[in-house]
Amino acid sequence: MLSNVSLEREPAPVTLTNEAIDHYCLSIRRLASQQLGTQEQLRLEQLAKAALRGGVLQKFRPIRLGLLSNRTMSYLISPLLAAGLSRGLLLKAYEAPFDTAALFTLSAQNPFPEDLDAVVIALDEAAFNREGALLDQESERRDVHAAHQYLLQTRDAARKKLNCPTIVATQPDLANRLGSGDAMNPGSTSRFINRLNVMIADGAANGDWICWDLSSLAARVGSELWFDPGQFFVAKTNFRIELAPLIADHLSSVVAAMSGEAGRAIVLDLDNTLWGGVIGDDGLSGIRLGQNSAEGEAYATFQKFILELKRRGVVVTVCSKNNDEIAREPFKTHPDMVLREDDIAVFQSNWNDKATNIKAIGDKLGLGLKSLVFIDDNPAERERVRQELPLVAVPEIGDDPTQFVSRICKSGVFDHVLLNVDDLGRALSYEARAKAAEICAVVGNYEEYLASLRMKMTIARFDKIGRPRITQLISKSNQFNLTTLRLNEEQVRAIEEDPSRMCWQVRLDDRFSTHGIIAIVIVHKSQSEWRIESWLQSCRILERGVEQTLMNEIMRAAAGAAVTRVVGTYIPTDRNAMVEQFYPKLGFTRGSDGVDEAGVQYECNPSGYRTLPSFMEVLHL
Amino acid sequence: MNEISRDAILADVTEVIRDIFDEYEGPVTPDLNAAKVPQWDSLAHVQLMVLLEKKFGIRFKMSEIQSFKNLGDVIASIENAQER
Repeated sequence: MLSNVSLEREPAPVTLTNEAIDHYCLSIRRLASQQLGTQEQLRLEQLAKAALRGGVLQKFRPIRLGLLSNRTMSYLISPLLAAGLSRGLLLKAYEAPFDTAALFTLSAQNPFPEDLDAVVIALDEAAFNREGALLDQESERRDVHAAHQYLLQTRDAARKKLNCPTIVATQPDLANRLGSGDAMNPGSTSRFINRLNVMIADGAANGDWICWDLSSLAARVGSELWFDPGQFFVAKTNFRIELAPLIADHLSSVVAAMSGEAGRAIVLDLDNTLWGGVIGDDGLSGIRLGQNSAEGEAYATFQKFILELKRRGVVVTVCSKNNDEIAREPFKTHPDMVLREDDIAVFQSNWNDKATNIKAIGDKLGLGLKSLVFIDDNPAERERVRQELPLVAVPEIGDDPTQFVSRICKSGVFDHVLLNVDDLGRALSYEARAKAAEICAVVGNYEEYLASLRMKMTIARFDKIGRPRITQLISKSNQFNLTTLRLNEEQVRAIEEDPSRMCWQVRLDDRFSTHGIIAIVIVHKSQSEWRIESWLQSCRILERGVEQTLMNEIMRAAAGAAVTRVVGTYIPTDRNAMVEQFYPKLGFTRGSDGVDEAGVQYECNPSGYRTLPSFMEVLHL
Repeated sequence: MNEISRDAILADVTEVIRDIFDEYEGPVTPDLNAAKVPQWDSLAHVQLMVLLEKKFGIRFKMSEIQSFKNLGDVIASIENAQER
């Protein structure tokens, strides 16, 4: 079914039309999402490399990673390219020359190219200078402390030389043990590795770096399979190189989460997915769910897992071929249902095909297809959705409910980097959006509807607490983004303190929910003129009058600073056509600077600005 | 040594060689070695060994991996391992 990409050897594409490139990229993404044998995997990697050279992968989001290790990481480079494609990323990895990890930390040398998005630090215990004194708890504590300092120093080197965040890998415990005695003996290598890993996780919780939990993957595989002493001595790898695709996939899920490309909503089938049996045939008393059978318990446990996802900010939706009333019945009345009707943000139950319904769910939530994860026990439905909607993640969950949880976890589709409060509030906010859309239909008059939301806008300067979400928005917003200016966390940190800039993070609350940070504005200020360098908004709060209110605030501030000209720019991309008329709609006129490669310029004199109608209260912090 | 089994092994080895050295278009014969294939560096060598081990269900010894002079040596080792 892969119409124009296959794993049979074929020449790299040379020139393709735009439409063919779209199609090619979707096909290759679908291909990359399959489970492949060793040789097929190799062909996929070569196909990806050829496509990269042919320049036809521009539909994927480019991410550049530096790899820094005291062991060989080269075997991950091609698999990373292939693994990234299945998550919509174009992962280009650069490895520091062998044995230069310490040089990177301790000298001014920089082996990496410019413009990296992150540096991955994977140092095993041999990279740290340890006392390793046996039976000495104080010495062990000093060793872990020194390792922590060293990692911080490496992080700082990455910050200084490359201005990018770091991802630190936990280390597989591969230490040979004489027996249980090594667990009791302070100073043993296995104890050190365990403490090292706790320290790395704590550092991530503290916001020092992002943690890649490699040791958990190694534990899943098993250390006997993970490590091949022969390969270690010949190639200096501390993992079996056949595992490279698995390891690359694991890292790519972290990178996807870091780049805001992880799953944000789950789309659930019902029959034989949330309960055993078919509700339409077997009826409420006939479906298998809950404490009466092993099968029923497995389904209940799966539902609890879905609730855990919800607690982590994942929006829960239903897509079922069923009569709506019958499908809702268990949610309302079955005593063993863990999920209740109000846990479900969108309930799409009808006889349309699933691809159509999944699209409808995305529209109702205001989420793109790439943020959706489809869960169905039926392999035919999974395949259909993969064919029709290659952007939707469809983990291979099988048809045995006892396997669902582990298979979803292993797929990494819901991997996440450090959660912040906004992430947790987001699920509520998407639900509220779906509900508000219903109210809108009832209220009729849009202004009345806006007023009925009792919105409150809070404007604050960039700060440390908001920084992760600000960076997330700046690095991933495509549609409502006037200039698509991208900054990483280090650059955001730097701009916060720049006195010539006004950087606003804007929050919105309404009576249904807390939306968190929904708009970012960066203005460059000079004496007579302000330039709006970046203006972006979350697409969750469209048509709320946010931009009108926010522009009122900016113009008021500009007038207060006696500025005579505010300049805004629209830089067209293939994603942001929705804001093409943004400035004209807000009363700006075409600027005297006209159009150049830097975009279309608009301007407005604050003294001539007509304040726009606003439907919310504004608070400046 | 059996000519027929060697030819069969060479055919399977050729398939792996074509996959791993996709830019090499010359002939694959027992006297092929790293010097004749630009992509055949030390990293690719280990990868080749791993793929062959998988394909034939055998294990090379570390000393062998480092002493193979050409594909003929590799094929002989595979044949040996299969006879055992």
